[in-house]
Amino acid sequence: MSEPLFQIGADGVDAAAIEAEIRSSVDSRITAGAFADARIGRAERLTLVNLRRDGAFITHYLRSLRDAVEVDISDFEIRERRAGLAPLLVRLKKAIWGLLRFYTYRLWSQQNQVNSMLAAGLEGIDEQYAAKIRRLEERLAELERRGGGTQGG
Amino acid sequence: MAAPASIAVVVPRHADGVTAGGAETLLRQLALRCAGRGLRVRLLTTCATSHFTWANERAPGVVRDGPLEVEYFPVDDRDAGVFLEHQQALSRGADLTREQEEAWLANSVHSRALYDHLRAADYDRVLAGPYLFGLTVGAARVRPDRTVLVPCLHDEPFAYVSPIREMFGAVRGCLFNSEPERDLAARIGGLPEARGRVVGMGIEPFDADPAAFAARRGLDAPYVLYSGRREAGKGVPMLAEYVRVFRERTGRDVRLVMTGSGPVDPHPFVLDAGMLPEAEKREAMAGARVFCHPSRLESLGIVLLESFMAGTPALVNEGSEVLQWQCRRSGAGFGFRHYPDFEAMLDRLLADEPLRARMGAQGRRFVQTEYSWAAIDARLFQALETL
Repeated sequence: MSEPLFQIGADGVDAAAIEAEIRSSVDSRITAGAFADARIGRAERLTLVNLRRDGAFITHYLRSLRDAVEVDISDFEIRERRAGLAPLLVRLKKAIWGLLRFYTYRLWSQQNQVNSMLAAGLEGIDEQYAAKIRRLEERLAELERRGGGTQGG
Repeated sequence: MAAPASIAVVVPRHADGVTAGGAETLLRQLALRCAGRGLRVRLLTTCATSHFTWANERAPGVVRDGPLEVEYFPVDDRDAGVFLEHQQALSRGADLTREQEEAWLANSVHSRALYDHLRAADYDRVLAGPYLFGLTVGAARVRPDRTVLVPCLHDEPFAYVSPIREMFGAVRGCLFNSEPERDLAARIGGLPEARGRVVGMGIEPFDADPAAFAARRGLDAPYVLYSGRREAGKGVPMLAEYVRVFRERTGRDVRLVMTGSGPVDPHPFVLDAGMLPEAEKREAMAGARVFCHPSRLESLGIVLLESFMAGTPALVNEGSEVLQWQCRRSGAGFGFRHYPDFEAMLDRLLADEPLRARMGAQGRRFVQTEYSWAAIDARLFQALETL
């Protein structure tokens, strides 16, 4: 008897089983919100292909997007690491920030409005399509059930 | 069926330097194996060296390259503007008319002199590839009954163009690098299983010092390695982003080393090693904690197999059926679906050294068995005899 062309699987570590175990754990952590992180949302913008292929990931991605959508325009503590001139430099930076704040708040608050509308729009589209698919699946199941009943009868 | 006595290997460029692509290297290697077996082999190629300009930079004529006879033919004049216009439309996913598809193909790289040679000569078999060059389609149209494609097929828009699909239906057979590639050809081109064989390419066995690369480069932290062309289509920017986020979220000081050609985004945790001599690349592979292949479009995954040979396990993009197939068969890698998988899998391999070492050992055994030249020769010559 000839040897198979390729030996499927390998002795020793069952990497496929470990991979499945890791993925299962990841799925649970995604559901629990462990990956709801704006940084991940930004990293995933480069792999939009996932959005087409993985329904569960769209939910995860939109959650990440919600976290990333708001530009942080809160006031912040102004510091200076150079010890010698620190008090002077801090006062200078505060003065500059005081002058710029009005303009930056105006710009970023408008940007936040646009971001929020875009994110809400995407979520709305996702929900609409999810509902539409659900209705079609229910209708298909009903038609299959009726078809099966006719054949059986 | 008798083995062929004479073979022409048609390839757009001769891979006698470091600039040619993986497919051209593969075809040259197959030509060398056939010549080493005592078959009459001539490698037919163009005078071009750049796949951007396709300018005729070499002199036409025959030269000897070890056991191979290589014959260079001039590239025909072409309208690169028309070609690029349709190429870009295809890349965007647009549907072309039959006339536009033919215009795209007609303005790809061709050589009438090479086709005339194929008509005049009486080769038993013509090995031609990769699939998406006009030269391959043109050669296959000259003697389809004797042509065996080495397509290096990817699931990309160009593969669905009508003349390409028709080529799969017309040729004598195909040599594939993997089972997923063979299945893809069946899906796209309707190629019957009986006309396809999975062959691949041999990986030279090597041992490399795992500490040498880090010592030479002053690396004092574990690193993930990527080798190959650095471009968006290969998933390289995504990998850099993943590693950046991984470092921030886990607090682990893991670096990303990239070898190969192409631009790299400047990050403080990325070491751009550039094009390395083969020995140093192998040391980089042996010293990496994990090799990462983020590409979705691969027909074999040569660098993945080399990293397995170096004893290093891998993380691959689950979107690549071929890379996932290699990991499944070897037990030497995990496939990630998205960043959360990547983080969990990399974290596991960094934290669990016994697991990492055992997976690495499995990968090395796998390549030594399945991708030795003896194994490749057995598959190649059986394919040539039976196709």
